[in-house]
Amino acid sequence: MTPTPCPQCCSIAPPDLLAAIAERGDPADREAAQRTLAASAVLRAQREAATRRRREGAEDGAALGVAANVGGRRTVYDAGHGTEGDLPGKKVRGVGDKAVADRAVNEAYDGAGLTYRFYKEVLGRDSIDGKGMELVSSVHYGTDFDNAFWNGSQMVYGDGSGRIFARGGLTKDVDVIAHELTHGVTQMTAALDYSKQPGALNESFSDVFGSLVKQRHLDQTAAEADWLIGAGILGSALHGQALRSMKAPGTANDLDRQAGSMNGYADLPDDDDPAHDNGGVHINSGIPNRAFYLAATAIGGHAWEAAGRIWYVTLTKHLDAGTDFRAAADATIAVAGELFGAASPERQAVSGAWKEVGVL
Amino acid sequence: MKVSVVRGGGLAGVVETTTADSATLAPDDAALLRSKVDEAKFFDLPGAGPRPGAGADRFHYAVTVEDDDRAHTVHRAEADLPAALGALIAWVSSVPGRETGLAPPG
Repeated sequence: MTPTPCPQCCSIAPPDLLAAIAERGDPADREAAQRTLAASAVLRAQREAATRRRREGAEDGAALGVAANVGGRRTVYDAGHGTEGDLPGKKVRGVGDKAVADRAVNEAYDGAGLTYRFYKEVLGRDSIDGKGMELVSSVHYGTDFDNAFWNGSQMVYGDGSGRIFARGGLTKDVDVIAHELTHGVTQMTAALDYSKQPGALNESFSDVFGSLVKQRHLDQTAAEADWLIGAGILGSALHGQALRSMKAPGTANDLDRQAGSMNGYADLPDDDDPAHDNGGVHINSGIPNRAFYLAATAIGGHAWEAAGRIWYVTLTKHLDAGTDFRAAADATIAVAGELFGAASPERQAVSGAWKEVGVL
Repeated sequence: MKVSVVRGGGLAGVVETTTADSATLAPDDAALLRSKVDEAKFFDLPGAGPRPGAGADRFHYAVTVEDDDRAHTVHRAEADLPAALGALIAWVSSVPGRETGLAPPG
């Protein structure tokens, strides 16, 4: 594979071939092709937005040969299909290094850079710890590994098996990369327990900033954004457009049971049954996710400017390990009042959003 | 001998169950299944592992082995899998003749 200046933006197979398969291939191939086409549409939009920003002179320096640390100190390692004990693996791309032949490496590098820039330029936060901490990512974790995670000190990406995630899918979406990196920010700030409501809030903050990094990258308003997490990267056993929808929780794929309001809250125990998912952290996160979506769309404009700042100040200054939905809701309303005024439309929008999802 | 692997959590939060039964595997694979269970010293492993450490979106496993009149279940976070148990899980997850199912959490 030829190294490219913007590897994240290149499609895998010619769109015409994919379109033909999408229309005439056997059902499994057809579905795979349709998914790839959907992903390509996102990539096209990203490419167009990137071109726009380049014209405006604001593109990541790595592609242009100017100051390479605009995207923060970051290093990508190849885990070589090893597991926890083998992390981080072999160093394959450091800050300012040119793109390499391995697409996953470049996607992890570019995604970490976009996320770093979001936190720095929008929220004034210098990396995960606020002190310029190096962003470490490892790709090719495990074999056919259907997951990306934050292990407490770095981001880790599997290759996907083609069943839950498309092969190569886990580094494709910047919202997934920013989701994992935000788990690091949460760990260093509110340190929300990864259990029940604090755990669902932990998940939700990762989806919120995951989506905001994508929205800024695509230069979208709240009304224009798709509010999807993991769009176009599902494997053949999950049928749908994405992993989660913040706008319409529970509708992203056929196994999506996310709640969009307290009426659907799943009160699962946090025990050692894997099916309980730490007390439903990935089900109930739909409730605060939708509250953010409702607040951001009611405020209007770019979601990261007002709603994003309210959520960020709340996460980093007003929450603790055991914060539940109601306390988080109260905190966001108080922060909206501090930032924009007690009678501001922003505060009203935040308050209305939490009422609409039944938390208040 | 029947080995069931239930995996939950992860970024997707879905629950995947994979079962390999020596009664329906090819004879060589059935023998290999037994040797992988022996290598993991499965029936000597404590049922519960340590509480998971820092991190998010990690997988969690519950592995159950049924053999004649005995059965045992081992729960482990992905970060805490002993190597031989990880090898058993990886093998069960790829052996021809395994049965798999996906379900939402809950």
